[in-house]
Amino acid sequence: MTKILLIDKLDNCVERWKAAGITVIGPVHRANISVYAAVEHASEFDFGLVLPDRSIKELFFPQTEPMLRYAIKKDTIDTIECMPPSGPRIIFGSRACDASGMAIDDPLFGWDYKDTYWFQRRNESVIVTIACIKADDFCMCTSLNMEPDSTKGSDVLLRPLENGKGWLVEELTDRGQEAFTQIAEFLQESADAPAQTAVVEKKFDLEASVAWLQKPENFDSRFWKEISMRCIGCASCTYLCPTCHCFDIQDEGDTYSGVRRKNWDSCSFALFTMHTSGHNPRSTQSARWRQRIMHKFNYFPGKFSVNSCSGCGRCSRQCPVDMGITETLQEISKLSL
Amino acid sequence: MVIGYGKGTTGNRRRPIFISSPDDVGRLVLDDSCIINLSGYLVSEGLLSDEKRVAVFLRPEGIRAINILAAESQLDADQIVIFGFDVNDNELRALKGIHVEEFADVIGSIRENNPGFADKELLEKIEKMTAQERFAFWQEEFAKCIKCYACRQACPMCYCRRCIVDSNQPQWVNTSSHSLGNFEWNIVRAFHLSGRCVECGNCDRACPVNIPLRLINHKMAVEVLGAFDHVAGMSKTQEPVLASFKKDDSETFIL
Repeated sequence: MTKILLIDKLDNCVERWKAAGITVIGPVHRANISVYAAVEHASEFDFGLVLPDRSIKELFFPQTEPMLRYAIKKDTIDTIECMPPSGPRIIFGSRACDASGMAIDDPLFGWDYKDTYWFQRRNESVIVTIACIKADDFCMCTSLNMEPDSTKGSDVLLRPLENGKGWLVEELTDRGQEAFTQIAEFLQESADAPAQTAVVEKKFDLEASVAWLQKPENFDSRFWKEISMRCIGCASCTYLCPTCHCFDIQDEGDTYSGVRRKNWDSCSFALFTMHTSGHNPRSTQSARWRQRIMHKFNYFPGKFSVNSCSGCGRCSRQCPVDMGITETLQEISKLSL
Repeated sequence: MVIGYGKGTTGNRRRPIFISSPDDVGRLVLDDSCIINLSGYLVSEGLLSDEKRVAVFLRPEGIRAINILAAESQLDADQIVIFGFDVNDNELRALKGIHVEEFADVIGSIRENNPGFADKELLEKIEKMTAQERFAFWQEEFAKCIKCYACRQACPMCYCRRCIVDSNQPQWVNTSSHSLGNFEWNIVRAFHLSGRCVECGNCDRACPVNIPLRLINHKMAVEVLGAFDHVAGMSKTQEPVLASFKKDDSETFIL
């Protein structure tokens, strides 16, 4: 006998959590796109999605946010620090790839400087992941040595029941347990079997690819130009990626006052590494695509012992010219044979 | 070099491919899933600088784009070999010709029919809205924008080496993706494409957050047609409508 949560009871849970002052967030449709967003009722959720179009990242690291407001006076500059809105949140219905993406980025945001914006949101959020029972052609978690029911980054893992009526509950952390204690009366004991998790085919040889990337001579390989020739240099892949974390700091305002903002930035853009002198160390799109791959599978693991990719496949799924990490690592896997 | 279509990740996906050896010709695919307008690659840095001819597979919108790029001095039309094709009722047909001027008839018929790619149903719905409702509609759509600039990068007409949003001395347009910044970006782009957009739909398909961008450009094309009797990309010598002036212009304020 294990604990289960029936879909019929989910609205009660949402009510209960909300009454406790918790914002309940999950996969929903908004203006012709699927996102993780706050809901009023459980009926707004769509658990049938393979995964939302937009990643969970923006709940922790939004596309733009104010850091401080400033006013320039005659002799002084007044600054007021801005912090994100505070309050507990439950993200109900994350996917394993999205949840693990957040755990992958934790060491990055806590490295030499602890990013208070990231960690305030991380510490106030409970991630309830639902194991995938379906995948599409772009899913690639298994190629990253993860599974559709991986627990990394999640506080609770729910396994869909075979009968489709609810989920088996596995509380993974104290925070997850606390959130589910609040809805304990809506849970029940059951012997219902969980459904088979999605079968996600392995698409490339990660170890061989990483070994190829680590060889210094491959930095200048002709491969980079060939693989990225059709890249148009947009930031669709980086902005939809749960683990891409680069940002830019911009001052917006006039001569006397303004707002300092933290905005997403992307290594795909020509402007990303442009120096004031006009020199650009990554002057070509192939150098920029190489950077993205090297960063994810060579530099990031070199520093944090984990690849900066959780296998969601959004980069390939949404690419206007059908590129992505999958194809690149597939080709590298072949090169390293 | 030949710029064409190859097989993509999944069944009906096609991806741009670049063929520079006869041995690779077998990789080319041509069918009704070949939708991306490939003309933008012609103006990518360095591609045409060796003055060698480049062949490219283009639908009529793409051919119109070549006319505009030539008219705006971005390329020499004689350097471009066009493999023209069109898809009507799921049937692929070849268009006769190699040089852009040989497609004048096909392009002329676009002027007559102006089918566009815009979602007619949604267009009618928006036309019937009050100004407030329309504003609310675009507010909701632009709220989704993440400023990935996929629309710009996918657009053959967005060839500026340095886009105005990337200029920061001075900063003309907010770089932040908040509601003001998103409105600024999308409106700036709509104006820059007025009288230039060929309605290929590249921006709309590239948008990862599904903003119906082609509706904006279609609307602007309709306005330009009404105001200036101008359809973009009719010939390689056609004057850019918003960058040219006629002495008999009905507006006198410019002088």
